[in-house]
Amino acid sequence: MKTKLYTLFFSGLLAFTTLNSCSNDDDNLMIDDDDMMETVDFTGTYAQQDQMGRPGINTVLSGSTAIKNSFNVTIPSEQGAAFQPLFLDQAVALHAAFGATYETNILGLDAPTLTTILANDVLQVAPDAPTTYFDGTNVLTGRNLTDDVIDVSLILLFGGTTGDRFNGQDTDGDGEPDLPILVTDGVSNAGETPMMSFPYLEQPH
Amino acid sequence: MGSLVAAGVALIAADHLDAMAVAGTTADITDFYAFEGENPANTVFVANVQSSLAPAGNDATFDENVLVEINIDNDGDLVEDLVIQAIPRDGSMYFFGPYAPTATGLNSTIDTSTELQGEVVITTDDTAITSNANGISYFAGPREDPFFFDFSQFNAVIAGMAPNGFNVPGNDDFDGTNVLSIVIEVPNTLLGGTFAHPAGTGTQVFNTWVEAKRKQ
Repeated sequence: MKTKLYTLFFSGLLAFTTLNSCSNDDDNLMIDDDDMMETVDFTGTYAQQDQMGRPGINTVLSGSTAIKNSFNVTIPSEQGAAFQPLFLDQAVALHAAFGATYETNILGLDAPTLTTILANDVLQVAPDAPTTYFDGTNVLTGRNLTDDVIDVSLILLFGGTTGDRFNGQDTDGDGEPDLPILVTDGVSNAGETPMMSFPYLEQPH
Repeated sequence: MGSLVAAGVALIAADHLDAMAVAGTTADITDFYAFEGENPANTVFVANVQSSLAPAGNDATFDENVLVEINIDNDGDLVEDLVIQAIPRDGSMYFFGPYAPTATGLNSTIDTSTELQGEVVITTDDTAITSNANGISYFAGPREDPFFFDFSQFNAVIAGMAPNGFNVPGNDDFDGTNVLSIVIEVPNTLLGGTFAHPAGTGTQVFNTWVEAKRKQ
């Protein structure tokens, strides 16, 4: 599936590695079915196929399949220069589809600034502060299992100064919504009940 | 035409099926989480792969040719200073790091001489098998997909087929689906330094991201 080939920089040094070393058999490097020694091979070069920092960035802001594929094999330090202009175009196009233009968002970020931040697709994590995607106070200090990252992303993109710019408002007083709902997908975390302790995620269905 | 193209590529989620070259493959990252652990001195990393496995898809397995690598940038230059690597072998998930890789970028190797190593038997049923080494906790196996999103309506919005936008309430298209999860809880003392948040909030942070890398 990959269209891009990478030079293999790892040539030799192929060493078999024993992880489960047998403590009472340290001097025996031969593999013996009767002992506990296990030989596991971790050699080789592994080339990037997918990448993710923040949720939904590539999905929402890459405007074509080619851009999405390229984004996934671009290292973060090179993403800004390569993708911020494309992300800005997409932010403009998403608004234009609703006859609107981007408005500076609730964090005071204009479209170039927002797309510049988002184009570096990494997640900031605060080891000594509350971790959250956005909790009303802390911004981008991690991502919890129950954080409503979609609504946060929609608010930052479509919410304008108030964060509530496109929320199905009735602007002419006729009892019918005149603006689209673009700042929430209408799905909350109510159905998610992660555990309080490791490994935190719920058992599978 | 534009709408058709948009609809075709907007099959998604947080990163679920985000791009056709990787969507639906064993190297498709669906989600990435990082949060404070039950012990506040620890940070938990969750990397989910292989999107939207229905209950019928519970026999999905990790690919031994796919390395899942969590990257940590301690100085804000968007280049990894530490990596945590996870790769399955014969029913167990093996972990390396956090450690400083000898090379950064698109290609990775596994330094089997690194100090911090661990392994855990891959869980195959409802009961989670975990392990611990050097204060680090490990898990790998199927879990309920914690992501929630009205993915169908999003596609309609992006495709220009939903002039009223989203529905309230919407429908969680990820309800009742599973993913393959790798969960690792690491003492913050092993995660290196921090820098001031790039958004100017003053909070001390590190950057992190996850990569799926296939053996060449």
